[in-house]
Amino acid sequence: MPSDSRMQDSNPFVEIATHLFLEDLAGKVGVAGLNNYLVSLAKNLAAAMPREEYSSWSEFIGAVRDSQSILSTFEEVRPVTERCMSTLRSPFERGWREYAKRVGSFAPVHREVADYYNHKVRPTAVTSVHIVLHTFREAAALYTQGKYAEALPLLRKAQEDGLKDGSLLYQLGYCREVVEGKHLTRDLGGRASTEEMGDAITAAVMQ
Amino acid sequence: MIDVALASLIEDMIEKAGAEGVVEFWQRVGDNLAGRMGKEAYLGWTSFNVAVREARTAFSIEGEVTPLTDMAITDVDGDVVGYLYAMRQCCYIPTIFRTRFAVGRMSPADKAVTEEYNENVHNIAVCNFCVFHERFREEIAKNVTVAGNPLACFLLATRGWSGETKISSKNVVQVNINEDHVRALLRNYECVYALVLRGARLKGER
Repeated sequence: MPSDSRMQDSNPFVEIATHLFLEDLAGKVGVAGLNNYLVSLAKNLAAAMPREEYSSWSEFIGAVRDSQSILSTFEEVRPVTERCMSTLRSPFERGWREYAKRVGSFAPVHREVADYYNHKVRPTAVTSVHIVLHTFREAAALYTQGKYAEALPLLRKAQEDGLKDGSLLYQLGYCREVVEGKHLTRDLGGRASTEEMGDAITAAVMQ
Repeated sequence: MIDVALASLIEDMIEKAGAEGVVEFWQRVGDNLAGRMGKEAYLGWTSFNVAVREARTAFSIEGEVTPLTDMAITDVDGDVVGYLYAMRQCCYIPTIFRTRFAVGRMSPADKAVTEEYNENVHNIAVCNFCVFHERFREEIAKNVTVAGNPLACFLLATRGWSGETKISSKNVVQVNINEDHVRALLRNYECVYALVLRGARLKGER
């Protein structure tokens, strides 16, 4: 798919303003309140987007790769294997760079709310905006229907976010081990701790 | 994606704090951002305008700003005390296009906040981001000095994605610029504002 089919980039100033908006909001509602806002807005965003249906897994993978699925609207997703997707760059990268250049160091609240999410929900967020990204991916997957039986549960269940070589590398992994239900956290219907689920995802991705 | 998701957040905020609460939020964010950016000093208008053109000033955070050096603002003595500046593209336009691409329509929350601001604060906004934007520029101008004098910012005219235009009659009179000249600028630019030396005795203030 040619690159002009992708959505145009945002102005990083708007992203900076949004980060400050979240900081101001956290001052009013606290870390837990901000977490709830972020989860809610990501779900609302996914719900507002068009639903999709694919007749086969390969058709779905093609749509993801060609930026025609809502799962690849905001980021470039590349299939690494038939079941594992990766994104080379964070969709927030430009905004972060501009924030650091123009405003300075990040307010601690972005890390604090990520810690809250990692502790309470699942250990996948580095900063506040990852809560939006990860919740969006999960919620968007619910709107991606497939006649191919594996498509929906595979998409819904597993996400991975990792650090490599000192730079952020964002990986979205659809891992069999997790979707089979052995290592799900309580919010996904399982009984595992967030650490156990994180270890399972890591192990699956490293295989 | 966070810019597109912002619309959902504003919808939530309107439910909890009302459109006037969102306006206050945005204005406070404008104050905070301006407060976190450093101070700048320039020897004179020439060096400041070069810095704007080269995207070195705090105003450049918004995107590409063009100094309209042929449109000087003079005080009662005829001395140049400021210039007009314009942005060819509003910094919120990419977000509007991204929202239409991803979601299909702009959130009604955008219009609610815009109308609240236009009715009760300053009738110049064409989108909810203008609320933040105007305050941010006003505050950042205080941190920039030209020839030792801090600046003041007057938002003069805006053009929205639907083609709707707004001109601030109050500010146009104050900086003594012909409204027709400003209207003509909106053919090529989406946001026009004036930067003048704070405290200058403008012709329009007499």
